[in-house]
Amino acid sequence: MTSPTLDAGADGAPPARGRSADAPSRSAAGRTDGRPGSRLRTRRRLEGGAVTVGSVLAALVWISPLILLVVSALRPLSDFLSNGPVSWPQELTLANFPEAWEAGQFGTAYLNSTILLLVKVPLGVLVASLLAYALAKLEFPFRNVILFTVVLGMTIPIYIAIVPLFTMLRGIGMTDSIAGIIPPYIAFGLPLQVLILQAFFRRVPEELLEAARIDGAGDVRIFARVVLPLSVPALVTVAILDGVATWNELFLALSLLSSEENRTIPLGLLNFQGQFATNYTGLAAGILIAVVPILVLYMLLQKYIVGGLTAGATKG
Amino acid sequence: MSTTTPRRAHASSPARRAVLAGALALPGAAALASCASGVGTTSTADGLTLLNYEDIDAATLLREQLDAFAGDSGIRTTLDTVPGSGAAQFPDKLRTRILGGNAPDVWQIWGGQIGQPFVEAGLTLDLAPYYDEYGWEETLSPAGVDGMTFLGERHGAPINVASLGAWCNARIFEEAGAAVPTTYDELEAANEAILASGVTPGGFGGKYGWHIMRLYEYLLEVTAGPDLHDALLQGEESWDQAAVVESFDLFRTWNDRGWITPGALGVAPADAEQGFVQGTSAYTISGPWIEGQYILPSGQPQEEFATFLLPTGHETVRHSGFVEGLMISSTSGAPDDAAALIDRLLSPPVQEALQNTQSAALGAPPDAEQFPLSAQWVEIRETSEIYTIQDQAFPKAVADSYFSVQSKVLQGDASPAEAARDMQQIVSEWKDQR
Amino acid sequence: MIAQTIDRTPRGAGPVGASGATARPSTPRLRLLPFAFAAPALLLYLGFLVWPALQALWISLTDWDGLSDQQSFIGLGNYAAMLEDPVVGIAAWNNVLWALVTIALPMTLGLLLAVVLNRKSRTSPVLRTIFYAPAVLPLVSIASIWAWLYDPSDGAINTILGAVGLSGLEQAWLGQDSTALWSVMIPAVWVRTGFPMLLYLAALQSIPDELYEAASMDGATRWQQFWRITVPSLKDTHYIVLALSLIESFKVFDLVYAMTYGGPGYSTQVMGTWMYANVFQYFEAGYGTAIAVVITLVAIAAGIPYVRSQVKSS
Repeated sequence: MTSPTLDAGADGAPPARGRSADAPSRSAAGRTDGRPGSRLRTRRRLEGGAVTVGSVLAALVWISPLILLVVSALRPLSDFLSNGPVSWPQELTLANFPEAWEAGQFGTAYLNSTILLLVKVPLGVLVASLLAYALAKLEFPFRNVILFTVVLGMTIPIYIAIVPLFTMLRGIGMTDSIAGIIPPYIAFGLPLQVLILQAFFRRVPEELLEAARIDGAGDVRIFARVVLPLSVPALVTVAILDGVATWNELFLALSLLSSEENRTIPLGLLNFQGQFATNYTGLAAGILIAVVPILVLYMLLQKYIVGGLTAGATKG
Repeated sequence: MSTTTPRRAHASSPARRAVLAGALALPGAAALASCASGVGTTSTADGLTLLNYEDIDAATLLREQLDAFAGDSGIRTTLDTVPGSGAAQFPDKLRTRILGGNAPDVWQIWGGQIGQPFVEAGLTLDLAPYYDEYGWEETLSPAGVDGMTFLGERHGAPINVASLGAWCNARIFEEAGAAVPTTYDELEAANEAILASGVTPGGFGGKYGWHIMRLYEYLLEVTAGPDLHDALLQGEESWDQAAVVESFDLFRTWNDRGWITPGALGVAPADAEQGFVQGTSAYTISGPWIEGQYILPSGQPQEEFATFLLPTGHETVRHSGFVEGLMISSTSGAPDDAAALIDRLLSPPVQEALQNTQSAALGAPPDAEQFPLSAQWVEIRETSEIYTIQDQAFPKAVADSYFSVQSKVLQGDASPAEAARDMQQIVSEWKDQR
Repeated sequence: MIAQTIDRTPRGAGPVGASGATARPSTPRLRLLPFAFAAPALLLYLGFLVWPALQALWISLTDWDGLSDQQSFIGLGNYAAMLEDPVVGIAAWNNVLWALVTIALPMTLGLLLAVVLNRKSRTSPVLRTIFYAPAVLPLVSIASIWAWLYDPSDGAINTILGAVGLSGLEQAWLGQDSTALWSVMIPAVWVRTGFPMLLYLAALQSIPDELYEAASMDGATRWQQFWRITVPSLKDTHYIVLALSLIESFKVFDLVYAMTYGGPGYSTQVMGTWMYANVFQYFEAGYGTAIAVVITLVAIAAGIPYVRSQVKSS
């Protein structure tokens, strides 16, 4: 029996399954001889081409703010002002970048954000995976209650905790410090991480764990030597998502960090906005300085994000 | 400075401490982070902290002076700045720091209802002893000292006495055939002429409310006159009256006739204020700091710019103004050092080095050659009095309600009469609460 | 850490105990190890999320200003005041609008994009990356970029409208009550569409081809196939996208704070920003916290079904 080819139509019909376009196709008109007419094939190809073109155009429009940003950052202010924001630059320059770097004191902000990232993310993922493993594989009284309570945390907006956190940190002298905001960051990151990781860990086959146990391994070793290595994709995904969230976090940083030397990138950018109001090209350069690294990292790591999200979240 | 002892009882419960100890017993992490960001208690051994809202150019000049001071006196000062949004966000940042036990030793703040809450909360020192010690009564402007007197006590030492007036691009005026207005009607005529020549007359940014408020309060002064204006600000007279309605009507008219920045409400003040230097607007309402901040760096010849007192048509022609000063934290570990720092900063040579064109230091008027326009204001102030700028007349919550009323009027969502009634309600509620 | 290996009763049929019988122990012995594993996370969670949240409940029942030492219990006074505060009404309504738009639009757009991009072609992965990219940027930078685009005189949007002859549509996007919130929602949708797109892309893979084949043979058009096969088969994903978007929507703060600061007037205030204003600007920590409590309770209530479903299915 000939199986029809299914092309993706621009009207949202079901997608292709990777079969070649030459396979016999069935049109809605109901030809039954199994072989497409060349007209139909051409039409399908044209449709496919149109969809591609359409989606490329859509993507360009989608990303146009960033393109505009890059172009503006590379032109001198006078050029921007005289020709307008959407014009092609007559002149290109790199001078906006050092100016913006200085004014925004991005050096400090980068340092702080990086430290925060390098400390908080591995720590958070470790702590989360320990709990997730315990909930997934180790016997535990009140297991479901604990899981529920922890995951429920993901519905809680961070700003309800701000005044108590503030008072708490002040009581131990840890306000306005990167170290001080790490515990709340970890706490608020736990719900989603635990949810994803415990779902993942549950799927580790019991036989593997049994085998290791029979070999005499204790739970810790099982966790470290068997489960973790198997879970690298999930861990990496969770780490990346957490990293992005940590890097971009504003509210806690805004409320708990105050001095210049402890600013993170989002704070630095807020501050920078104030300084560079009408220096549009400088502003563009500053924004780029703040986001290019994360965009680059994203490009490099995006398949992990995609992979992890799609694996972890769409459990039927 | 040392950390404050926990004020809340529950902060010291053993269970809490155990939790915290457990959480923070991740030694590598905490140590690494704390080393890198210099966390921990900032002790006086590190010197003083000064917090203000200068932009980077002014901050650079200030740091030079602080270094010089450190060289002379051995007192080191770290400067932190929160530039850009002015009174809308700086007080919050200051408050956050203080709440966090990380109060700066000295900070700069505006007078009126912006600085007062800090005094009322007991966060500042009464500077009377230092006034005596350093003789500030004689060396600082009386208007400034007044502005830094809260509830009868001098909790601040004034650094700026700012007068607000119109700062304009003289070339645009000339090209439009508009003369510097001496009456309110002439100002309206000038607006029309400038608009006809293709330029937006008034550059105002309403994003945080206070910049466009400067236009409104001027209009109120025009329609209500000095006495009524003051009474209104104190809540002694009702806002629900003809003069106020007229002022809101004028306010709307300015917007409807295209005399202010299009879409002003969404524009940030810093954006709009520079317009007259760049030629996208003809004038703005601002103060002498503008000369050093925007006019000089623009590199354009000084003759292109002018400043004038906004005409009100009353016998006493007043202008809006405000005072900024320095306060010392009541929790500072080194108040005497802080006072010495303040004295140094307020001394005429330092004020001049900082290019402060609105200095409260009587010995440091703006240099007429370098800052001709600011120097003009010293003269203007001899005949024109200052009334307190409106966003300092009200505490922030009230000021925000007030900005909201302005916003509605500009958008045509509230009629001038309704706005006047709303204002009356806002002010009377505030007065009742006090 | 000592791993205590006691006789474990393995899941499923397991090895027989030394006595030869698979009798269960009379009292399950409490093992320390799981607690050791769970302790760091639980301590942090309880200490830095749960406990502060509970404290917030207490603070919301006082008139604390956040600054001084005095704090008096005023019962539900703050909540009563909220009922009379017109800004709370504005903020709550804005949160509703925000939720509706930032759930529906990304979901729809994400689904459409997923369907279109679900083809093996060289461009698809690149396009996927592009559509997801805004999600990794800090919201502050998004706010900066879009505020710049929305600038009434020098912004790209008005410039382009003017250039294509639509200058009648030019306006002060962020400077008018009527357009301000919607203007902030657009970048929010821009940011949030990538995630549903990825989820849908993955889920589309698992719809069996036979369904489509059979439908084609019955003469169904592709449009019909989309609505009768694709959309229903993605039920689970719809649920996840909806739930996660809803949960996320209650947390809105960054974009509004950075783009409009709650203005013009109060028109773009949301509960989060109004809470911030009250706590950090007006010296009303008690009242502000009450606002936070209200939105949190609503968020928890809205999120519980999803959380339950996730926990139950494990």
